[in-house]
Amino acid sequence: MASVSFKNISKKYSEDVSVIKGVDFTIEDGEFVVFVGPSGCGKSTLLRMVAGLEDITGGEIHIGGELANDVHASQRGIAMVFQSYALYPHMSVRQNMGFALKMAGRPKAEIEERVGKAADILQISHLLDRKPKALSGGQRQRVAIGRAIVRQPKVFLFDEPLSNLDASLRQNMRVELSKLHRELGTTMIYVTHDQVEAMTLADRIVVFNGGVVQQVGSPLELYDRPANLFVAGFLGAPKMNFLQGKLASGSAAITLPGDEHLPAAADVARGTAGRDVTLGIRPEHLRLAEESDAAALQARVTLVEHLGDQMLAYLKVAGIAEDLCMKLPGHAVKLSYGDQVRVAFPPQQCLLFDHAGDAFPRIQ
Amino acid sequence: MSKKTNARNAALLNLLTWALVVLTLLPILWMVLSSLRNYSDVANGNQLDFSEPLQWQNYRDMWINVDFFNFFKNSLIICSISTLFATISATCAAYALARFRFRGSSSVSVGISVTQVIPGMLFFLPLYMLYRNIGESWGMPMLDTYHGLIFLYVALFTPASIWIMRGFFVSIPRELEDAAVIDGCSRFGAFVRIVLPISAPGIIATATFIFLLAWDELFFAWTLTSSSSVQTIPVGIRLFIGQFQQRYDLMMAAATVSTVPVLAAFFACQRFFVKGLSAGAVKG
Repeated sequence: MASVSFKNISKKYSEDVSVIKGVDFTIEDGEFVVFVGPSGCGKSTLLRMVAGLEDITGGEIHIGGELANDVHASQRGIAMVFQSYALYPHMSVRQNMGFALKMAGRPKAEIEERVGKAADILQISHLLDRKPKALSGGQRQRVAIGRAIVRQPKVFLFDEPLSNLDASLRQNMRVELSKLHRELGTTMIYVTHDQVEAMTLADRIVVFNGGVVQQVGSPLELYDRPANLFVAGFLGAPKMNFLQGKLASGSAAITLPGDEHLPAAADVARGTAGRDVTLGIRPEHLRLAEESDAAALQARVTLVEHLGDQMLAYLKVAGIAEDLCMKLPGHAVKLSYGDQVRVAFPPQQCLLFDHAGDAFPRIQ
Repeated sequence: MSKKTNARNAALLNLLTWALVVLTLLPILWMVLSSLRNYSDVANGNQLDFSEPLQWQNYRDMWINVDFFNFFKNSLIICSISTLFATISATCAAYALARFRFRGSSSVSVGISVTQVIPGMLFFLPLYMLYRNIGESWGMPMLDTYHGLIFLYVALFTPASIWIMRGFFVSIPRELEDAAVIDGCSRFGAFVRIVLPISAPGIIATATFIFLLAWDELFFAWTLTSSSSVQTIPVGIRLFIGQFQQRYDLMMAAATVSTVPVLAAFFACQRFFVKGLSAGAVKG
C-alpha cells in the first residue's frame, strides 16, 4: 500500500496545448479514488503520468512518499488495468498473468504460485491455459485484473476498465471491484466518465474539467455540496435543474425573470444583491405542491418517463428556458402530457451559485 | 431487394469470379502444357493436341542446355538475402512511422509513397552510373555482383513493404505496449516481445511479397549483371532464346520449375498472407 501525492502537476504537449494545469492533492494509503470528468478533461493523462507512461511537464508525483517522476513504470510499484484489457494475444492467460514476474526474473515456482493465487481470487483458474481470444469480455477483464493482482502492487490504476462491457456485466464487475478493494486493501485509482461507477466505487471522487481539479471529496459530499456549477451538473442523473436569476436583496433567494422569489438555505454574505446567480435543485428534491401554495411555480407537463420504480416528469415553467426534471416514486401520482401542476422548491434542498458559478455555502 | 434478385446477383458474381480465376490461370496452364510438348509442337501452337502423348523430356533437357541450377542457386541467394534485409528495414521503418511523431515524419511518409509512383526503369541510368562510379572510385564493384543486386532489391522493395507493415502496426493497440512497459519491458523490449510476435502474420506476408517480387524481377537483373555466376532465373530463362534457336518448350519447362518454389512458399504462408494483408482494415 502507498499514498500518492500530486504536487502542482502540469502537462503540456506544446506551448499552446496544456492538458493538466496545476493539480495538487493527495490520495491516502488504501483509498479508492475515482477520477471523473468529461472526455478530454485530463483524467486519463494524469493516470498515465502516475503509471510512468507520460512525461511530467511540471510538478512532482510521490508514490509511497518517494519522488516517482523519473522512475521507470515497472519500478513504481503500480499495476494498471486498461480499457481494452491489453492482454497479449499470443500468450495464454497464465503467461499473461505471469509476464511481469518473468520480466522481473522471479523463480518459476513463485510465478506459478502467485498466478494460481490471483486466479483463485478471481475464479479464473479454469481459464489459465486459454488464449485471450477464447475468452468473453468479462473473462478478459478478470484476467486483466488478475495480471495486476499478481504483481502485488502498491497502487492499482484502472483506466475505464468497464467501458467495454455490457450494462449487466458492468454492474457485476463493479461490485466485484468493490469487494476486491476491501479484500486487498490496496490504494486504487480509477478513471471513468461514468458517474454511477464513480459514486458507487469511490471513497473519494476527484472531478476534473479542462485539466483542472474542480472538487475532491466523498461521493455524497460532492452530490450534496458541489463546489461549483460544473460539479453540480456533472454528478447526478438526471442532472440538476438550474434556474437563472438575480440575487434577491436582503435574503438568500433568487429572483426569477418573472419576479418570483425562490429562497435557498445558503449563506450569501459574499454575494451582491441584483447580480446574476443560479439556483440548482436535484430532480428528486422538486415537490408537487397544492394549488394554494403561493411559493410554488405553475408548470405544464411536457413529457413523462416511467422507469418502473421511478417516474421522470419534465415540466415547462413560463420564463425558464430549459424544462425542469422532477423525479417521483413510480406510482405516486398520475401525470400525463399537458397537465397543469404547481411545483415547489424546498429551500433546504436548493443550492445557490454566484455569477462565476461557485456555490454559496449551504446552511443546514 | 427480393430473394430472386439476390440469388441472381450472387450467381452473376460467382460467374464473374470464376471467369477471373480462369483468365488468371490460363497463362499458367498454357505454360505447363507447353512444357509438356516438344519443340515443333510448341513452335506450331499444338499445345492442345492431345492425340500426341505428353512428354517430360524438357524437364531433363532444361538443366543440360543451360546451367539452370546455377541460376536457381543465384536466385535463391539474392532473393533470400534481399527479403531478409528488406523485411527488417521495412518492419523498423513501418513501426516508427506508425507509432512515433517526429520532425519530418509526414515528409518521410509522403516520400515513401512518391517513390511508388515513379517507374522503376527511370532509375536505371543513374543507378548504372552510380554502381560503375562506386566500382571505379572506391574499388568496390557493384555491377555484376550479388551485393549489387541485393542492395538494389532492398531499396526497391522496401517502400511498398513499409506501407503494408505500417497498416499492420497501426492496428495493434498502443495499450499493449504500455502494458508491456509497466510489466518491465523497455520500449524496444515491448517491440520485440509483444509487437513482433503479434505482427508475425504481417511480417511473413510482407516477406513473401518481397521474395515474389525479387524472384520475378528481370529488368535490373538482366541489365546490371553480365556473368552467369550472378544472373538469376528470369535472366537464365531468356537464354533459351538464342540467335538461331528459340526453345520455347525448354523455356516453359524452366518457367514451370522456377514457379514451384514460390508457389510452395506462397501456399505454406497463405494463411499469413491473407491475414497479413487484410490486417489494419479492422481494428482488432
